[in-house]
Amino acid sequence: MAGNLMRKVSLIELLFVPFFLLLIVYPIAAIIFNLTPAGIAKTFADPLFWTSVGSTILTAFFAALMGLALALGFGYYYIFRKGTVMYRVADFLNDLPIALPHTVAGLALLLAFGRKAFGFAGPTGLAFTLFAVTLAMFFVSYPLAARTIASGADEIEREVIDVARTLGDSTTRAYQRVVIPLMGEGIISAFILSFSRSISEFAAVIMFGGNVPGQTQVLASYVFTKVEEGEVAMAVTASAFCILIALFLVVGLRMRGKFHA
Amino acid sequence: MLEVQNLVKAYGDLRVLDNVSARIENGRILVIIGLNGSGKSTLLKVITGILPCDNGCVRIDGQDVTSLEPEDRKIGYVPQSTALFNHLTVRENIIYSQKNGRGSPDGFEAVVSMLNLRGYLSKKPKELSGGYRARVALARALYSQPSVMLLDEPLTEIDHAKKEQMLPEFKQVLHQLNIPVLYITHDPREAELIGDAFAVMYDGKLKTIGTTEEAFEIIRAQVLAGAGIA
Repeated sequence: MAGNLMRKVSLIELLFVPFFLLLIVYPIAAIIFNLTPAGIAKTFADPLFWTSVGSTILTAFFAALMGLALALGFGYYYIFRKGTVMYRVADFLNDLPIALPHTVAGLALLLAFGRKAFGFAGPTGLAFTLFAVTLAMFFVSYPLAARTIASGADEIEREVIDVARTLGDSTTRAYQRVVIPLMGEGIISAFILSFSRSISEFAAVIMFGGNVPGQTQVLASYVFTKVEEGEVAMAVTASAFCILIALFLVVGLRMRGKFHA
Repeated sequence: MLEVQNLVKAYGDLRVLDNVSARIENGRILVIIGLNGSGKSTLLKVITGILPCDNGCVRIDGQDVTSLEPEDRKIGYVPQSTALFNHLTVRENIIYSQKNGRGSPDGFEAVVSMLNLRGYLSKKPKELSGGYRARVALARALYSQPSVMLLDEPLTEIDHAKKEQMLPEFKQVLHQLNIPVLYITHDPREAELIGDAFAVMYDGKLKTIGTTEEAFEIIRAQVLAGAGIA
C-alpha cells in the first residue's frame, strides 16, 4: 500500500511540497505563532497604529484608483494605437518600475517632486506628505494594473470592437462603450492587484513619503519602526494585521469572477 | 452602389489582396466563395475601413471612402463570430447605433418583425442559440440604415438544415433594403441559396463567375495545384 503511494508521488512533488512549506507557509505561520495577547493589546491601544492603518488604506486606495485610471489610458493605446511611438515607449517603461530597486524609485520621485522642483508647493515640495505616499505607491503599482488591463483587453474579441466602429463609434467611444464594460473582471483585478501592491510598498514610500508617525507612517513603516524600537510583539501584531488585509484582498481577487458574473 | 477598384493589401511579400476589383449594384447580393485564407475576410475589413489598404479605392454611391474611418462609411458589417455585445440585451444590441444618431423607432420595429426577434429583446446574447445570435447581428447592422451590407460567413455557427431554412429568409430581408450586399462564404450551397451573383476568391485574386459550380471547379483546381497534383 505504502509502496503504491510512493510510486504515485513525482519528484517535482517531493521537491515542491517541502520547499513551499518551509519558505512560504512557515514564515507566515511564524508571525501568527508569535502573536501574544500583551502585544495585541498594546498595539491596539496605540493610536499611531490605527492612524497608520487608516493612512495605508486611504493612500493605497487612491494609488490604486490612479493606477487604474492610467492603466485604462494604456489599454486604449494597447488596443488602438499599437503602432505608435507613444505606445512603444509606454509599453517599455511599464516594466521599468518593476525592475528598479524601489529605493531608486523613491529617490526618483523625491528628485522629481521634492523641494528643488516643487518648492513652491511647500518647504519639502510634495515630499513627506500623504500625497507623496500615494504617489510612491502608485509609481510601483501602476505597472501591475497596466499589465492586467492589457490581459483583459486580450480577452475581448477584436471583431466586437470592429463592429462598434462600423456602427458609428470613434475609437474613444468604442473603448468607453464596449471595451471597458466587457473588461469588467479585468478592471476589478487591476484595482485589487494595484491596491495589494500599494499596501505592501515600503522602500519607495519611506524615501519619498517619509515615516512620520501619525502623519505619513503606513503599516509597512510602522512594523519597521516597531522592530527598530525593540517592540517586536507590536511589530508582530501589526504584521498579522497586514496578513489579514492581504488575505481579504486575495479572497477578493479569487471572488472577482463570481462578482462580475 | 459599391465599387472596389484594384485593392491591394500585403503583409511583407504576401499579397492578401491582389488588385481586387468588383462592383455591386443596389439590391444585388454578390457572394464571394473561397477557402480559408484566400483573402475574403481581409477584403471585407478593407471595405469597412478596419484595415487600411496599400493601394486601390473603395467607392460607395460614387463617393470615395478609402480614407474615411470605419465610423464614417455607413457600412453594415456582420462578422463571422457575430460579435454581439455580451454586456447588452438583444434590444440594446440592435439599437446600439442610435447612440451615434443612426436608426429610427420605425426601423427598430421593422427589423424586429422581419427577423422574428420580438420574444428575445430582453435576453442577453449568451442566452441565444447560434441562429438567433446571427439574426441579432443582422438586425443590429440593418437598424443602422447602412448604405452597404457586408456579411462574413454569418451562419458559421448554424447547421446545414437550419441554414436551408434561414438563408431564403435572409435573402428576402436583404433584398428589401435595396442596397449592395457582399456575402462571404466557403460553402457553395450557402452561396446558391443567398446570392444573385457570384465570384470566387483565391490567392488574393477575385474572379467573377456565373454559377457556384464554377467556384467549386476553380477552388478544386487551386487545391490540386497547391498540392502538386495538377
